[in-house]
Amino acid sequence: MNRREFLVAGAIAGLAASTRLASAAVRFDMYTDSDANISDFWSNVIKPAFEASNADVDLNVVIARTGGGTTTVVERALAALASKTDPQLDFIEEFDPLSVKGAVEAGLWTDLSKAGLQNYGKLNKDAIQTVWSLPYRGSQVLLAYDTTKLPKDKVPKTFADLVAWIKANPGEFIYNRPDKGGSGGNFVRRAIHEANGRDPGVFKIDNYKKGESDELLAKGFAILNDIAPSLYDKGSYTAGNSASLQLLAQGAVTMIPLWSDMALQAIAKGVLPETTGLVQLSDLALCGGFSAAVVPVNAANHAVAVKLADFLLSADIQTKIITDLGGFPAVNWSELPADLQAKYADVIPASIPTFPGGDWDAAINDGWYRTVAPSLSRS
Amino acid sequence: MHEAASPLSRTPAVSARSRVLPLLLVATPVLLALWLVIWPAAEAVILTFLVPGEGGTEVWSTANYARFFGDSYSVNNFTNTLWTTAVTTTILLVIGLPLAIYLRFAKGQLPATVQSLVMFPMFVPSIIVAYAFIRTLGPNGTVDIFLHAVGLPRMRTPYLTPWGPVIGLVWDGLPLTVLLLLSGLGNVTRPAVDAARDVGAGWLAILVYIILPRMRSSLLVTLSFNVLGIFSSFTLPYLLGPAAPEMMGPFMQRTFGDLQDVGMARTQAVITFAVCLLFGALYVWSIAKGRTKSAAGGKS
Amino acid sequence: MSLLSISPPTPSLLTRLLRRTGGADWFGLLAFIFLASTIILPLVVVGIWAFAEVWRYPAVLPQRFGLGFWGEMLARRDVWAALTTSLELSFTVTALSMLICLPAAYAFGRMEFPFRNTLFLSFLTLRAFPKFGLLIVIATIFLNLGLVGTFAGVVLIQLVDTLMYMVWIPAAAFQSVDRRLEEAAQDAGATPLQVFWHVTLPQSLPTIAAAVILTFVGTFYETEGAWLIGAPTVTTMPILMISFINNQLVIQYGAVLSLMLWVPSFVALMFARRVLGGDAIARGLGG
Repeated sequence: MNRREFLVAGAIAGLAASTRLASAAVRFDMYTDSDANISDFWSNVIKPAFEASNADVDLNVVIARTGGGTTTVVERALAALASKTDPQLDFIEEFDPLSVKGAVEAGLWTDLSKAGLQNYGKLNKDAIQTVWSLPYRGSQVLLAYDTTKLPKDKVPKTFADLVAWIKANPGEFIYNRPDKGGSGGNFVRRAIHEANGRDPGVFKIDNYKKGESDELLAKGFAILNDIAPSLYDKGSYTAGNSASLQLLAQGAVTMIPLWSDMALQAIAKGVLPETTGLVQLSDLALCGGFSAAVVPVNAANHAVAVKLADFLLSADIQTKIITDLGGFPAVNWSELPADLQAKYADVIPASIPTFPGGDWDAAINDGWYRTVAPSLSRS
Repeated sequence: MHEAASPLSRTPAVSARSRVLPLLLVATPVLLALWLVIWPAAEAVILTFLVPGEGGTEVWSTANYARFFGDSYSVNNFTNTLWTTAVTTTILLVIGLPLAIYLRFAKGQLPATVQSLVMFPMFVPSIIVAYAFIRTLGPNGTVDIFLHAVGLPRMRTPYLTPWGPVIGLVWDGLPLTVLLLLSGLGNVTRPAVDAARDVGAGWLAILVYIILPRMRSSLLVTLSFNVLGIFSSFTLPYLLGPAAPEMMGPFMQRTFGDLQDVGMARTQAVITFAVCLLFGALYVWSIAKGRTKSAAGGKS
Repeated sequence: MSLLSISPPTPSLLTRLLRRTGGADWFGLLAFIFLASTIILPLVVVGIWAFAEVWRYPAVLPQRFGLGFWGEMLARRDVWAALTTSLELSFTVTALSMLICLPAAYAFGRMEFPFRNTLFLSFLTLRAFPKFGLLIVIATIFLNLGLVGTFAGVVLIQLVDTLMYMVWIPAAAFQSVDRRLEEAAQDAGATPLQVFWHVTLPQSLPTIAAAVILTFVGTFYETEGAWLIGAPTVTTMPILMISFINNQLVIQYGAVLSLMLWVPSFVALMFARRVLGGDAIARGLGG
């Protein structure tokens, strides 16, 4: 692949240039609390590419603690907005703008649909949840399993099969707490889909109604409670995506739900053995999700932030999200090179079901903690 | 022997000059604490007693607390934290007391080594404790590997059970506990023990009648410092404990960060603070009492 | 506290107590074995992981050893920068904390003044009130002072965290100083400052040293304040570690970093052993 080699060479040249000019360049603070494969992708792919075309920018990748690390910085930015000071925050690679109370009302977030992004029109419409968040990479949750214990031809293909398999093999399946990582979170959402006619269309970003909607969720929780006694350690849940992955790597369980991009990277790095199998449910895929970036209006380098947002949607970066990250593009496939889609057709499906965030998130997470998590059946 | 004043005991009034000097001496840390923590904290406490009333006004109410204590899930988390505190402290005392007695009276190379082993966890942050725990006691961890190597079945791992945080916190808390108990043993002297031995007391009798009564305040101190540490712990319960019941640390963080229920999170924070304050007062009270007693009783 | 209790511990007492059930220092041996297996074993496991490239259950030792992760870690500039930052922070904060807290501790321990007990107890708030409730207020203060993302800002927020131990522990130490020695010095014509320097301070020194060590180690591993105020420019070692342990698929990074951190810890421990003997911190913390 000549084109890719060319890009890599360009990226290295860019990196060298940026370190040389580091003192003169403007420091641009980009935060992430995603898993390491994402922050590595930013440091090794996006940073050099962006700096190559913006010589005066030094893109500073700031890594926060998973699950809540960036919230602290957003609170700080909110305080900075009120006191008209520099929040020292230009860009967050993934953040739900609705998750910090009062932020939208205070006008903290930039309306990216009106920010003059050239590539905004190329976005997959299904991926857009709010005007303040810019979806730029998608990922899907699938099932990762140990083929030495579960042969490929015996692996469950539908949710009903999966439930049957979990019950027939107690202690061999675990998913993480839904608020602590998307692989467990989307497994929980898949159970909610299962209980509601496998129709993702039922759930929309603005149609959560207290009480009424909670009944829909409760039906999903009932399924999860039903399988709980057959899970690892009769109903234990790990504290994150990586923690589940470690249990699979250590052979403590046979199957876990896992983000596709993490699974591919883990196998590539030897964290998961080569004998790891990956499978997607065929009746309705496990939910995926688009990670969406946000730009606070009081970012010191607001213009650069908007430029970076546009850059993320360029064909180059969107292609790399597929080839280097094992992710899913946020722009329509028609915007990307034709051969790419043909090549990755097997690995990446044409569309992935998603579940809206906003009020649903809090309802699902807290509902799960209150009804599913306590039902331990230890004796 | 002269009176050794305690922070809480009254000493005779002094001149105006020496009343201003101490205030000057304490001014910097007190003002710093007041400005950055105590004042904002007081504000937060007041906010928990204000709820929205009619017409956009705010009225005084204990509704937030009624909500917390009326919700069985929250109460469960609270009692779980108390349970963890009680169990952790008990285990720490059972392990720490013999060690402290040993370190107090024994001399030589072996006690010196034992002492540095006891102290080491002080220098290991929680995140590494959690990490080492999962690698060692976790499923298919080192212990399982050894068991498997000698043909035994795998053990029942405490990872993700309420015992996970307990073990982690015991490991983490051992150095401070032993140090606190050693302090109490400073009051137990050889003549006292020898006198008891002379009348034929066994080691259990010596422990119950001579050692423990003199350590009452340091046992209280151990308890209060443990409450402080365990109620504010986050990393160990979060990484090693079960999804539910939660401990107050992770529970508050989740209420605040994930559920965005700032009012409730603040209420949980104040309840946690109140428990710590209660035991903190116990600490100050106990050293005051201990000092007064040792000042009055003099030599033991 | 009487002079008797400060006198060196009796070597024979416990040995005699224990000899009733055995021969040699069986208890010490038992304690050693117990601690070696519970304290050292988990750390050894972390140590082995740092050198393991592949280690899968049920192998007793890693299938493949290697230094690959060390090379990767040691080549990272941010790791070294963070270690330096953390050490600088810890030294600065500890020194400042001593400077402002020791005089205060002396006042609390030895002088009478209005609101003494309330003020003394109020330091508890610093450690017992959950910080997240104060995020916005603290952030606003620091933003207005222009201290966010600065070394000085992190020093200030971490300094506040150290006040409780640095006031409480030395206060008790100053209090338990033997007054007869001070009076004797006074009678011999020493000025109050000389008395303090030559009598009071040396007697409370071991306990103060204990407080200093607790403060230093506590500051080194503090993350909450360091992140709130320090991000994005001031990166400390534990903040880096959290991202290497929590967000990483490869656990070896965490293991390597842990081993790297035990070097300063071990130095501190060696130092601590000299001052944390039987009575030192002990006397300070009450009893």
